Amino acid sequence: MTRSRPIPRCSVGIGLRSPHVSEIAATQPELGFLEVHAENYMAETPALDRLLELRRDYPVSLHGVALSLWSAEELDRSHLVRFKALIERTKPMLVSEHLAWSAIGGAYLNDLLPLPYTQASLDLFCRHVEEAQEALGRRLLIENPSAYLRYRHSTIPEAEFIAAVARRTGCGILCDVNNIHVNAWNFGFDPIAYLDTLPAGAVGEIHLAGHHAAEDVDILIDDHGSRVAQPVWELYAAALRRFGPVPTLIEWDTNLPALEVLLDEAHHAEELAHADRYVDAA
Amino acid sequence: MPKSWPMPTDMSMLLELQMRLRRAVLGGDTAEIVAAIQGEGLDPAARVGIYRHHAFATLGDALQGTFPVVCRLVDRRFFAYAAHEYLREHPPHSRCLVEYGADFADFLDSFESCKDLPYLADVARFEWALNIAATVRDATPLQAEALAAVPAEKAAYVALRLQPSLSYFASPWPIDAIWQANKEDEVRPIELASGGTSLEIRRAGDAVAWCRLDPGTFAFRTALADGLVLAAAIAAATLRDPTFDLAAALRHVFAAGLAVAFVISPELETPR
Repeated sequence: MTRSRPIPRCSVGIGLRSPHVSEIAATQPELGFLEVHAENYMAETPALDRLLELRRDYPVSLHGVALSLWSAEELDRSHLVRFKALIERTKPMLVSEHLAWSAIGGAYLNDLLPLPYTQASLDLFCRHVEEAQEALGRRLLIENPSAYLRYRHSTIPEAEFIAAVARRTGCGILCDVNNIHVNAWNFGFDPIAYLDTLPAGAVGEIHLAGHHAAEDVDILIDDHGSRVAQPVWELYAAALRRFGPVPTLIEWDTNLPALEVLLDEAHHAEELAHADRYVDAA
Repeated sequence: MPKSWPMPTDMSMLLELQMRLRRAVLGGDTAEIVAAIQGEGLDPAARVGIYRHHAFATLGDALQGTFPVVCRLVDRRFFAYAAHEYLREHPPHSRCLVEYGADFADFLDSFESCKDLPYLADVARFEWALNIAATVRDATPLQAEALAAVPAEKAAYVALRLQPSLSYFASPWPIDAIWQANKEDEVRPIELASGGTSLEIRRAGDAVAWCRLDPGTFAFRTALADGLVLAAAIAAATLRDPTFDLAAALRHVFAAGLAVAFVISPELETPR
């Protein structure tokens, strides 16, 4: 018998990683949803079967990392077809991608790379978001990137750029609070002003993750390899005040800990979201 | 229908920037991209280096996940070096990283630093076959009775289509024994001179399975996998094993569920 759970407006999920799959299936922890990298489930692997089994008990969110929407060449149609097939099989609650490019000239670099923030690159990105939404038959959430370089050509602040994308394409925003903190540190801007620039109604998901300080240089690296840092929790609380309770993900990709640690982080996020709702109601 | 936005006027500039960053991320020249990057307290080349490090580390991890025994045979540091050289010249085409590494074995064949391990590239070929079997789902097997409708005079021109997870692979080295030994914590010595292997690798439920085949069976099934008609497959098998028994071989193919469909080769159907 399949349990059907209503999707709460605020739910906290975790990134599903293969070492945790058996334990989640066996213990069925209370979680709002499970998020996976779409590209890891496009081949007919046993891992896909496990995901489809877990799908009976948890809503799934698909997080694409390779559509390369910010690339100055045509979208990869065959990849869109595979993405759509996965959407049809998993019936996800959310589908997201990045403000980034990862492939050019037939080479896939497995990294989320930047372009300059200009009117031309905004037109390009909006066109690709619309093409992707059309091809996938879904509204996308677009994630703000972490970055380690800025181009001399940029003329539009990052937050304004993302706000314009949401306005023009009708896409939602995946607000990665850790990425805002990392970029604010790396480039010296005010993260609260960044949050204030995003259109509140468009934010459909929040990501939380860990980062680390680079050796020798004053740069934060977004590595999803540790607990969420205190300043990021504080920024999350500010985001909840601004956007209201939205589905929130604990992302952890490197130095993967025991499942218990992820559940503990998810629990903390839930407490903050509830505390926020309590304040709102008061 | 989506609204259409005008094409950006300086698309060629954006494309050029992307190509320059691609070259720098893949370990090539950084000079042509750094001019476009703000310093902001850090050398632009060091900023590019953060992306390069991430790309090489994660793509290297993906290769190591697909070729774990190759990595163990050469040790992690050397593997990282070989992967680095491979990545520079052969970055992934597919955006699904389990599909990356199809020509890694060919690269190792020609990689001068690996010439002391002549079996290494064949271990990579074996691991690639295991990877295919793990990432491709099998179809419903064809039943032997399906061939009953084929007129006897056309039977020789039947070409069987085999399960998509199947690979056939032969090596002058005992690759399966080398691979198995290196999956254990304690590696037992392998007698390299114990001879070669002819292997069939396929998906088996959730797992991947392989077995050694005798020369006739290997030649027969390899020919089928290559799309040859039965007459040609029999000829190939008999060349390797004069006692090759077609009826038994076909029985085994169907019993193992290896075939999924058949066609009667049209060019050969009515020879003139």
